[in-house]
Amino acid sequence: MSVIEMKLEREVAAETIKIQARKVQVHYGTNHALKDVDVDILSKNVTAFIGPSGCGKSTFLRCLNRMNDTVASAKVSGSILLDGADIYDPRVDPVQLRAKVGMVFQKPNPFPKSIYDNVAYGPKIHGLTRSKAELDEVVESCLRKAALWNEVKDRLQSPGTGLSGGQQQRLCIARAIATSPEVLLMDEPCSALDPIATAQVEELIDELRSQFSVVIVTHSMQQAARVSQRTAFFHLGHLVEYGETGTIFTNPKDPRTESYITGRIG
Amino acid sequence: MNTERHIASAFDRDLEGIQALVVKMGGLVEAALADAATALETRDEAMAERVRAQDGAIDALEVQVNDECLRLIATRAPAATDLRVVLTVMKIAASLERCGDYAKNLAKRSLVLNQMHVVEGATASIRRMARQVGLLLKDALDSFIHRDVELAASVRQQDRDVDHMYTALFREFLTHMMEDPRNITACMHLHFIAKNIERVGDHATTIAEQVIFLATGQMPSEPRPKADSVNMGKD
Repeated sequence: MSVIEMKLEREVAAETIKIQARKVQVHYGTNHALKDVDVDILSKNVTAFIGPSGCGKSTFLRCLNRMNDTVASAKVSGSILLDGADIYDPRVDPVQLRAKVGMVFQKPNPFPKSIYDNVAYGPKIHGLTRSKAELDEVVESCLRKAALWNEVKDRLQSPGTGLSGGQQQRLCIARAIATSPEVLLMDEPCSALDPIATAQVEELIDELRSQFSVVIVTHSMQQAARVSQRTAFFHLGHLVEYGETGTIFTNPKDPRTESYITGRIG
Repeated sequence: MNTERHIASAFDRDLEGIQALVVKMGGLVEAALADAATALETRDEAMAERVRAQDGAIDALEVQVNDECLRLIATRAPAATDLRVVLTVMKIAASLERCGDYAKNLAKRSLVLNQMHVVEGATASIRRMARQVGLLLKDALDSFIHRDVELAASVRQQDRDVDHMYTALFREFLTHMMEDPRNITACMHLHFIAKNIERVGDHATTIAEQVIFLATGQMPSEPRPKADSVNMGKD
């Protein structure tokens, strides 16, 4: 591989902005959880949010598909544009939005249904497929993308809850991508997994970025360094620093970022 | 520069440990260079032999520095300044190991030169040059200890003086050789010694550049002043 090619691989693949957030503020009752966050999430990139507990990174992630709507005390202001369209526009249906902006949670949470139905559920309720054959195809392709197909193809009708933790998490990822989302939000997707399952999910994330924008919240700085192209560091509700992952981990501009990534402040 | 402590205090101890090792190495190299130059000037064979024997300790320290750095990278996954500390320590150790070799080589050649006629004034000039380079090395290591970018920058500037001294010695040796061909063997040895001391100066500069990288995250951009003007055989 030539020097030029090696450089290119590390460069941010596409500079198109998928999500543009401006002056985003979140209050939970009297608690000012997020203060004036401006971020451009690029398409076909993995963006990692890091920061100590309570820094606002998960809160911000949950703004991106209006999950905070489900929290009665939460008040979100500012603007978040997905492909230029305001996702907080009253005409936007949050359910439709969440089909476009999928989410994977910390703990694997498969539906108490078969492996097949877990993946088929989204396409069914959104009416994305016209026939059983088409649905079968979607299920297989999503399970393949989630690197789970070979392990489950002979037992698609067994309950999803019977899989191992790592398999369940990959099943949840297959379920999240079954509605053909454009953005995939992941809230500490590996924190309940062992290192092997973690490596599999990380490999998967790297493959998914050829099709989706992936935004991942992680407590593991090494994971952020491994999987992401861009990293955002949150602290006390502020977005302190946002930049190319290699730069953040070798030569951050803000002393707070440096202190956090080198293990000096929690 | 981040002076806060790590949450994991053992991480601080590991980082301090590798830096202490490299500073210790620097002390041994400075002493070896000064002793070797003194042994040359005073024709002190016992001192020259001691310098030769002690190079093993410098080499062993370099091995130890590399081992500790590998272990630290594998277990602590250092980032940002911490990572630069580890990389800098490894590079400084490599430079110091080479400087130790040059001092040892000086000591070996001094044993050969002891068997020959004295070349007027040469060994005193070499000892002065060695002292100058020793100070440079000391400044480079002090700049590392104190993360002193200004001192490191001055090392880069001062190396030019060493280059001038080398050029002057080169001419001096040529003159001696032309005056009396019986001086050629001794002058060839002396010239290798002078060249090697000049190389130690270059290593001091390399260390100073590493310190600038360590403190700022950037290698110094402007080219280092060079006063290398030995006209290859033209004089």
